Amino acid sequence: MRMGIKPGDLTSVFMRSFLVQGSWNYHTMLGLGFAWAMLPGLRSLYQDDEDMLKESIKRHAEHFNAHPYLAGIALGASLRLEAEGAGPNTVRSFKTAVRGPLGSLGDSLVWATWLPGVSVLALALYWLGLPGSMSVLVFLLIFNAGHLGLRIWGFRVGYSEGREVGRKLQLADLSGLTTRLRGVAVLLLGLLVGALIGAQGGLASAGLLWLLLSAAGFLVGLFAGHYAWRPAAATVVVSIVLLTTWGLLR
Amino acid sequence: MEIFLVAVLGGVLALDTTSVGQAMVSRPLVVGVLTGLVVDQPVLGATIGAILELYLLVSFPTGGSRFPEGATATVVAVASSAGASGPGVLPLAIGLGLVWGQLGGASVTLLRHTNSKIVESHIDRLHGVGWVVRRHLGAIALDFLRGSLVTISGVVLGRLALQSLSGSWPLGVPSSIGLLLVGGSVSAGIFLRDLGGFRQWRTLFVSGMALGIIGARFL
Repeated sequence: MRMGIKPGDLTSVFMRSFLVQGSWNYHTMLGLGFAWAMLPGLRSLYQDDEDMLKESIKRHAEHFNAHPYLAGIALGASLRLEAEGAGPNTVRSFKTAVRGPLGSLGDSLVWATWLPGVSVLALALYWLGLPGSMSVLVFLLIFNAGHLGLRIWGFRVGYSEGREVGRKLQLADLSGLTTRLRGVAVLLLGLLVGALIGAQGGLASAGLLWLLLSAAGFLVGLFAGHYAWRPAAATVVVSIVLLTTWGLLR
Repeated sequence: MEIFLVAVLGGVLALDTTSVGQAMVSRPLVVGVLTGLVVDQPVLGATIGAILELYLLVSFPTGGSRFPEGATATVVAVASSAGASGPGVLPLAIGLGLVWGQLGGASVTLLRHTNSKIVESHIDRLHGVGWVVRRHLGAIALDFLRGSLVTISGVVLGRLALQSLSGSWPLGVPSSIGLLLVGGSVSAGIFLRDLGGFRQWRTLFVSGMALGIIGARFL
């Protein structure tokens, strides 16, 4: 085991994890950002050996990808492995093994559930009459409580567990949490749809035609999924252009 | 001065989408309110933000996927509305936002290809520590510049378009909102599908909807 990493350097690595996607690219994806985030920890470990530092930076700049909020798990665990003196291949294999799960877990928990769920809550409150600034405050406070909690937990658990972090992830049951959050998100989505229908200035006051067209749009989204998004947005844009042209020619 | 502020705002908020923090201050609802305060149109800003948020409910920055960029799109939509009037402002701003969201998304893809080329041409050499730092922070600076350029070009064109066209809009405010919510409803449907579909969650969904209708009537 090498000399430990100073708490200040650990904090630096954690803070840098917020910028881990800054140089995202199709070749190494998070690789370069990962190496940049690791730098304070690696400097602390290899302070007397410039060649070792360069070599470790080079291997951490290799291809890597994960959900940005969960990348801290891999950062913490990789630092732990480096501190334990694990060989380059061990560190490389570990990162290869965790990148898939950290990507898919994060995508389904954060991007597909937590973010749209909290958005839906803020939108429902807005359409129910809460001022825009208050809805934004609710959104930012609730979303970032989860966001920061996940990042802090991830980095801590990664650094404390090292290569055993997978076991801790299983115990945390993030997939189960996602399923439970989905139920809440559905209830909030229903609340939003109801608010869009019933609110003053909403669909009910726009008239039956728009209410029926919106119901049709909802069904199209429900059955066609993400394939429907671009055509729907394009249809709205084309309708706006046609109506404006018609208005100009009148 | 205001246009400079708006460009900086667009650049900073674009960074939040993927490069820095991802605290989701780049979501349309937040951006709409912030830009509305900058251009002194807080109510219109919140309305545009809320409608674009509904559209982009199911659009998120996953890995290498191409996604419409909500931050610059919303700044452009709200800032372009400043100075225009009439019932056409809202639909034209939303239309502009939807188009600019796609252009912003394309510019993110272009930036990522540029980053790829730079990394690819150096990956086999032994990286110096300084190279990693310069490349990473340089890419972030480039992303800020990209966001600012996308924003400023959109606002300049958008202001011209909205000021000359908003008076020609033929529909009233309720029908305009109706039209915009038709597109937004598609996103709501997609989200329910993503969550597991209507059959799995019908009781919860219908209960929520009833609460929403009752709440909208009585709140």
